[in-house]
Amino acid sequence: MSIVDDLQQLRADAATAIAGAEDLAQLDVVRVAYLGKKGSLTSVLRGLGALSAEERPAVGKVSNEVRQALEAAIDLRRADLSSAALDARVLAEAVDVTLPGRRRAPGTSHLITRTVDEIVEIFTGLGYKVAEGPDVELDYYNFTALNTPADHPARTPSDTFYVRDLTGEATAVAGESDVLLRTQTSPVQVRTMESTKPPIYILSPGKVYRRDIADPSHLPQFTQIEGLVIDEGITFGDLKGTLEHVCREIFGPERKVRLRPHFFPFTEPSAEVDVSCGMCGGGGCRMCKGSGWLEILGCGMVDPNVFGYVGIDPERYSGFAFGMGAERIAALKYDIPDLRHFIESDMRFLRQF
Amino acid sequence: MLVSMKWLRELVAVDLPVPELVDLLDMTGTKVEAVEVTGNALEGVVVGHILTKDRHPDAETLWVTTVDVGAAEPLQIVCGAQNFDAGDKVPVAVVGTTLPNGMTIKKAKLRGVASEGMNCSATELGVGGDASGLLILPADAPVGEPFSLYWDLADTVLELEITPNRPDCLSVAGVAREVGAVTGKPASWPGSTPDESGAPVAGSVTVRIDDPDLCPRYTARLIRGVKIGPSPEWLARKVASCGARSISNIVDITNYVMFELGQPLHAFDLATIAPGGGRADITVRTAKPGERLTTLDGAVRQLAEDTLLITDPTGPIALAGVMGGDATEVTDSTVDILLESACFDPASISRTSRRLGLFSEASQRFERGVDPNGCAAACDRAAQLIAQLGGGTVAPGIVDTYPEIVPPRKLALRMVRVNGILGADLDVGTVAGILTRLGLTVTTGSGDGDDGAVLSVTVPTFRPDLEREIDLIEEVVRVHGMENVPSTLPGGRGRIGGLIPQQRRRARAGAALRAAGLNEAITWSFSDPADVERIGWTFGPGELPVELLNPMSEEQALMRFTTLPGLVRAVANNQRKGVVDVHLYEIGSVWWTAEGRKLPKEREVLSGALAGSWDRPGWLDTEPMLDFFDGKGVLTSLMEAMGIERWRVHAADRAWLQAGRSAEVLVGGDVVGWLGEVHPKVLDAYEATGPVTVFELFAAPIIKAAREAQPFADIPRHPSVKVDMAIVVGEDIVAERVERAITSAGGTLLESVRLFDVYRGKGVEAGKKSLAFSLTYRGEDRTLTDEEVASAHDKVVRKVTAAVGGELRG
Repeated sequence: MSIVDDLQQLRADAATAIAGAEDLAQLDVVRVAYLGKKGSLTSVLRGLGALSAEERPAVGKVSNEVRQALEAAIDLRRADLSSAALDARVLAEAVDVTLPGRRRAPGTSHLITRTVDEIVEIFTGLGYKVAEGPDVELDYYNFTALNTPADHPARTPSDTFYVRDLTGEATAVAGESDVLLRTQTSPVQVRTMESTKPPIYILSPGKVYRRDIADPSHLPQFTQIEGLVIDEGITFGDLKGTLEHVCREIFGPERKVRLRPHFFPFTEPSAEVDVSCGMCGGGGCRMCKGSGWLEILGCGMVDPNVFGYVGIDPERYSGFAFGMGAERIAALKYDIPDLRHFIESDMRFLRQF
Repeated sequence: MLVSMKWLRELVAVDLPVPELVDLLDMTGTKVEAVEVTGNALEGVVVGHILTKDRHPDAETLWVTTVDVGAAEPLQIVCGAQNFDAGDKVPVAVVGTTLPNGMTIKKAKLRGVASEGMNCSATELGVGGDASGLLILPADAPVGEPFSLYWDLADTVLELEITPNRPDCLSVAGVAREVGAVTGKPASWPGSTPDESGAPVAGSVTVRIDDPDLCPRYTARLIRGVKIGPSPEWLARKVASCGARSISNIVDITNYVMFELGQPLHAFDLATIAPGGGRADITVRTAKPGERLTTLDGAVRQLAEDTLLITDPTGPIALAGVMGGDATEVTDSTVDILLESACFDPASISRTSRRLGLFSEASQRFERGVDPNGCAAACDRAAQLIAQLGGGTVAPGIVDTYPEIVPPRKLALRMVRVNGILGADLDVGTVAGILTRLGLTVTTGSGDGDDGAVLSVTVPTFRPDLEREIDLIEEVVRVHGMENVPSTLPGGRGRIGGLIPQQRRRARAGAALRAAGLNEAITWSFSDPADVERIGWTFGPGELPVELLNPMSEEQALMRFTTLPGLVRAVANNQRKGVVDVHLYEIGSVWWTAEGRKLPKEREVLSGALAGSWDRPGWLDTEPMLDFFDGKGVLTSLMEAMGIERWRVHAADRAWLQAGRSAEVLVGGDVVGWLGEVHPKVLDAYEATGPVTVFELFAAPIIKAAREAQPFADIPRHPSVKVDMAIVVGEDIVAERVERAITSAGGTLLESVRLFDVYRGKGVEAGKKSLAFSLTYRGEDRTLTDEEVASAHDKVVRKVTAAVGGELRG
C-alpha cells in the first residue's frame, strides 16, 4: 500500500472516530489520536522524509488535505457537541418558575403616617408649611387662646387628660393642673401665630388625646391634621375652595363636597364638611347611615377673639382654620371597621398598606 | 332636641316635604340627626268592641270580656279595669303586640281563665296620663281599625342637633322661628294671658335675689285650688313627642311650656314653703357651709358653697335650675301651686349639674342660656294652662324680681366686611332680609351703596350668641347658604410652602428603616408605672416620669419614657396571634420631667424591634433567627441613608438588654441611644419569645448629624490587590480595635478593610479567636507593583500584631 492509500484509510478511520465521539472529551481523545504530536497522521507525515523528491509533493498535498479535512470535521463535530452540551445544561438548570421569589420585603409606613403624608403633600403643593408642637401642652394654648369658655365641658377631667404640674404653683384649671395632653393640634397654630407674622399658611398634623374608651370608633390617642391660613383678604370662599380641592384629592374627583354650618368656639362662621358617600354614591347606605354624606372635617374663619389673644389685627388680616382626624379619613377611605387596628401593631394589618 | 312635625306645623306653615326640610335644616346649621316616623309602635293595637263583661269566677277584681276586634271570632280577654261596660269601644292589644312600655302581649291564663289579648289604658299606649282605667273610645270608632290610624298617632319626629351657641332652638317655638327664617314663612310665638282672680300674689309670696349675677330674673305666679290629675290626651301626646313621660297635669304643663318656649319651669307646693312675715318667703342664694337638700329623686345632696339654691327661711328647697326639693314637690294633695319661671347663670348651673352628676332637660337649657326677657310670658302661659286644666284660679299679678333689665344688643354691620369675610357679593336687601327673618331688627345706618352701607342691627335677648359683627356675618352666610358662596383659593403672595430640612430628614430616616425591612408601628404614648420595674429603667439624676392625673387605667398612668415596653408588647401580641416574624419601627416622642417643671421634656426617638426571621421562603433555605447583628445592620443602613459616617457602637449594659449582647450607639462620639437583644427576664415579663432585638435612638442628634449630600468620590481607575490576613487575638480584643489598627497601619495605599470570618476552635488556642480580614490595596494614581503591596502589607502585619498582641495565623 502506498502512503497515499494509508492516508486515505486514516482519513476514513478518523472520520468514523470523529462521528463516533459522543462528547467533547471523546472528541479530544480522537483529535489527539490522529492529529496530536504522537498521533497517526503525524507519524505518517514523519515517514515523508523517506520518500523521493518526486513523490513528496503529491503525498504532502494529500496529507495536508487529510489534515484540513480532519480539522474541519473535528470543528464541526465540536460545535455540534458544544451545542448539545449547552442544551443539556439548560435543560438541567430549568426551574419551576411558579416557586416563590426570594426577597427581603421592604417595610411599610403606618396607614396613619401614610394618610398624613398624602395630605401634607397636597397642602405643601398649595404653599403650606408643616408646623409641629408638643403633645403635652398648657391649658392656655389648648383652650384659653382658642376662645374656649372656662366652663366648657371639653375642659373637664372627664374629657381631657391632665398632667401633674411639678412647679408647686397653685393651679386653677379643673381644680388641679393647667398642663394637659392636647386635645387638638390647634395649640401649634396659636404658637405659630405668636411667633410668626402673617402671611401664615401651615398644616399641623400630630397626636392628640381625649378621654374616650377605645372602641371601634374611638381611641383615646389619635391623630389630627389641622390647618391655618392668615393673610390679607382671606375669605370664606377661599376656605370653601381649598377644602373642596383637598377632599377631592383625598377621596377622588368624583366625590361631592358640601359645607354645612356648625359651631366651634375658635371659628366664626364655622362649618362641617361632608363628602358624598363613596359606598353608595350619595343614595344612602350603612356606611353613611342613610344620609348619603360622610362628615370628615370641621372648619371656619378664625374668630376675631383668637386674633386678639395672639396680637394680630383682625381688621387687616383674616384667616381660616380646619381640622380632620387622620384615623377617620383612613377608616373611611380603606373601609376599616375598627379604629383599634391602628394602635395594635399587628403585622398582618401593618403590612397591608 | 326632638321636634314633632305636627307640633311644628301648628307654629309655622311649612309645606316642604320632610326630606327637603331636613336638607334645608342640615344646610343652615341645624343638623337633623334622625327622622323617626312615630305611631307605628302601636302596631297590633286595634279598636275593639266589648261584647260581654262577666265577673271572673275566681277573682273579685277581674272581668272576663269577649271583644270583637274585627276578626272571625271575638277574643276572650281577662281585664282588671273597672271603668267600662259591655258595648264600650276600647283599644285592644292582640297577642304578639309589644307596647311602648316594652310589655309583649302573650296568650295567658289569669287565675285559670284564658286571655287572648289586653284591653288598654291611655298610659299603656303612651297616649295619655290616665292609668286609672281603659281608654274608652267614642261609640262610632270603627271596630278592627288600627288604633294608631284611628287616633291619628302618625307623626314625624325630627331629632335635631342644636349647637351650644343656639339656646333659642331648644324649644319647638324656637325651632319654628328658625324654620320660618330659612323657609321664608312666618312663624308664631305662642302666648297666653291668665284669667286672674282672688287675692293678689303679692300678699302671699315674696322673692329676693342675693346675687343677681347668678340669677338675673325670677318670676313666679300663684295658682290656687288646683286638682292634680291626669293630663288630657293632647298634652300627654305633645310631651311624649319631646321624649318625656306623661306624669300629671301640672308636671306635664311645666314640661310642655319648657318644650314649647324653652323656659324651664318649676312648680312648688305653696303649703310646703315656710313663710316669713306671713308670705311664702323665697330667697335665691348660694349654699352656706354644710347645707344639705333632699332632692326629688330622694337623694340627700351635700351642697358645695357656690351651689345656687332656692331657699325659704328654713333652708334650701330646690337646686336652682337643676332639680327641685323633695319636701316642696307637688303631690296629689297639693292645692296651691307656686310656679317659678326664672333665669339662672349658665356657668353656675353647669357647675352644679356636673358636680352632682344631674343633667335634666331644665339644666341643659339653663346651661346654654335662657332668655331673661322670656320668663314672665312663659310663667303666664303655664299659669293659664294650669288654671284651665287643673281647675284652679290664677292669683292676680306676677312676682317679678328683675334687678337689672337686660336690653337688646345693638350692633353695627358693615356691608364691606360681610362681603370681605365671605368672599361674596351680597346686597343690603339680601342681608337685611335674612337678619329680619331671624327676628332681628335692621335699620340702614350710615354709608352708601351695597359696600359702603353700615347696617344698624338690634339683637333680641333670645340670641345671646350674637355679640359681635362677625356673629351676624355667620348668620348671613348660614341662611344665605354656604353652597351659594363662590369657591376660590387664597391668592396670598408672600408664602413659601414645603417641608423644612429637619422634617425631610426625619422622613428620610423612616424611608431608610422601611428599606431595611421594618414596618412602622404607632404604639400608645402612655406607659404602665410597672414598666419602670419590669424593664429596670433608671431615670437620670432628678428626672421623673410624667404622671397623668386622670388616666384611662392604671396601666396607662404615665407618659412613656421609652418606646421599649410598647414595642415588646407589640412583638408579644403578634407572637400570641401566631405571627412570629415581626419587624417594627416607630418614630415618636418620649417624656420626662423634673421637680419644678411645668411642661415636661419631650424628645423624639427612632426605635425598632426585630423578632423571628426576615422572610421565610422555606423551600429555598432556612433564614436564621434575627439577632443583634440584624439590628446593627438596620442601624448601618439608617446611618448610611442619613449620610452619617462618624458613628459606632460599643459594648455597654442596659438593664433591659441581655448583657454581652447590648451596646450604646454613638454619633460623633456622643451616646445617642442603645441597641441589643432584650433580656430574657424582660421577655418573660411581657410574655414575648426571644430573641427580640431592639434599639432606640434620639432623633434630634441623628437629624442634626445627617448630611443632605455626600461629596462625589472618584471611581478608581487603577486595579486593586486583595490580601487576606487572619490574626489570632485574645477574646477581650474587639474586632473594631483590630480593624482600627489595620486602618491606621495601612496608610494611603490601604483602600478598605473587611472582616470576613471569626473563628474559634481547632488550631486556635482556647480563650482566643481568629479574625480574618480582607485588605484591599490600591494606588490612586498608579498600578501598584507586587513589591509595593508586599511591603505595605508586611508593615500592617507587624504593626497590628504588636498593637493588639496578636499573631498571624498560619
